[in-house]
Amino acid sequence: MSDAALSGQSARTGVGDLAVARARQTEDVVAGGEIVRHKLSSRVIHWSVAVLFFLCLFTGLPVWTPIFGWMATFFGGLAVCRWLHPWSGVAFAVASLAMFVHWFSDMHLTGKDREFLTPGGMIRYFRYQGEDPEVGKYNGGQKLLFWAAALGALGLLLSGIVIWFPELFGQGLRELSYVVHDLAFILFFAMIIGHIYLGTAAEPGTFGSMVRGTVTKDWARLHHPRWYREVTRNGRPP
Amino acid sequence: MNAPGLEIRQSSAGVWGSSSGQRKVPVVSKYIDTSTCIGCKACEVACQEWNDLQIVPTAQVGTYQTMPRLDANYWNLIQFREVEANVPSGDFAWLLRKDQCMHCADPGCLKACPAPGAIVQYENGIVDVNPDACIGCKMCETGCPFDVPRYSARTDKMAKCTLCVDRVQVGLEPACVKACPTGCLHFGTKDDMKELAASRIDQLKRSGFPQADLYDPPGVGGTSVITVLAHGDHPEWYGLPKDPHVPTGVRFWKNVLRPVGVIAFAAAFFAMVGHYLTYGPKKPKESGEKSRGEGTV
Repeated sequence: MSDAALSGQSARTGVGDLAVARARQTEDVVAGGEIVRHKLSSRVIHWSVAVLFFLCLFTGLPVWTPIFGWMATFFGGLAVCRWLHPWSGVAFAVASLAMFVHWFSDMHLTGKDREFLTPGGMIRYFRYQGEDPEVGKYNGGQKLLFWAAALGALGLLLSGIVIWFPELFGQGLRELSYVVHDLAFILFFAMIIGHIYLGTAAEPGTFGSMVRGTVTKDWARLHHPRWYREVTRNGRPP
Repeated sequence: MNAPGLEIRQSSAGVWGSSSGQRKVPVVSKYIDTSTCIGCKACEVACQEWNDLQIVPTAQVGTYQTMPRLDANYWNLIQFREVEANVPSGDFAWLLRKDQCMHCADPGCLKACPAPGAIVQYENGIVDVNPDACIGCKMCETGCPFDVPRYSARTDKMAKCTLCVDRVQVGLEPACVKACPTGCLHFGTKDDMKELAASRIDQLKRSGFPQADLYDPPGVGGTSVITVLAHGDHPEWYGLPKDPHVPTGVRFWKNVLRPVGVIAFAAAFFAMVGHYLTYGPKKPKESGEKSRGEGTV
């Protein structure tokens, strides 16, 4: 079945189209006039991490500072948060590990990606300057987020265990853990604010890649030109 | 909280502070003279009885000490220590110390506590715990420079000496002071207790203990449990930290990281809003190519 035929069928019969739905189980293929960016398993892993992150966030913030104390009400009080936070943290760590394994092979930083490590490179990206035709499926910023999230999750888990069971550790390690847990969480949350903004308001069409799994060809050509070329060349011609 | 009638000077996890400051309330203090303690443990029993604490099995630790350390159900422990050193009485000192909450003016437990109102300091200096508000997170254990607060797995709450605030607020001395047979414990305003300590220290100095001193550590703003030490130059012989203060990690976490974090979140949020208003969304240019839903064959 040609792409054009798929596309037409999709338009007539809507989302339930079986062939398109089947195509959306595979990544980096053209389906229904769009490109599948994230298959179902990718999306399930992403949203598991995201939901557990927010569970940790909203149970942790009221413990962190009384300014957010009102959030505890949604869980049944601060004592529930104190119980729920470490367990949801363990679940978050497990989901983060799944995410790490799932995306690891895509996330090696290559030459051009390292520009994102410099403040200048990051600023150019946010000013929509320095468009790079060689950006593959993930740009340097996304890879950076991946590694920062993996390191952050590890730091939060290790320091969290010390805070959870302080009696097993010495005074110095306990104090260090409070500082590490706080620092990791502040950086993580600030990063996630940027991640959500870029994934929704700043770059229209991106959010769909994590919901239905697909992006438009125009979107792919703009944000990930090399990936677009690879997908369309390997798959069916546009 | 045992003393709802007392005015609160500061409370754990308070946002705007809570001191009423309307009345001038004298700071109280317990006076402990380690040099006249005979280790009879009447204070331990009185504490258990008055506070109606559960029985904790004793443990043989090789000395006359009742158990190795304080417990969530044992708030007052006479510590026995043998020190080999060159002291005025020879080369050996047999030291007793009443281990309990020191009721710091700058309490590390209160600083570390994330539960609003779980640890409060009254205007009279007593640091009290409110089990109803306690969430059992054990952070006070890390915040305390004297290793005093104890977590109970049975209740999922922390517990420590309250300086018998329920007795103090009706004009009685703490139970341990009431029970002490040698008069090495006294209770009153801190000024009075310091005066008493000064005269006792003077006496000790004249009796061959030139290093006698009062343990009222300034690092935690002074304490409402002041201790006369015959070997005042060596508080560590008694198991007391030489220069206690609220742990650096706890202070950095509460005083620096927390406000910085809140500001960082606000900054990240407004940076995104500013970015959207300045640069707007990055939309794909219309290429005329069909996208999903628009396609027709």
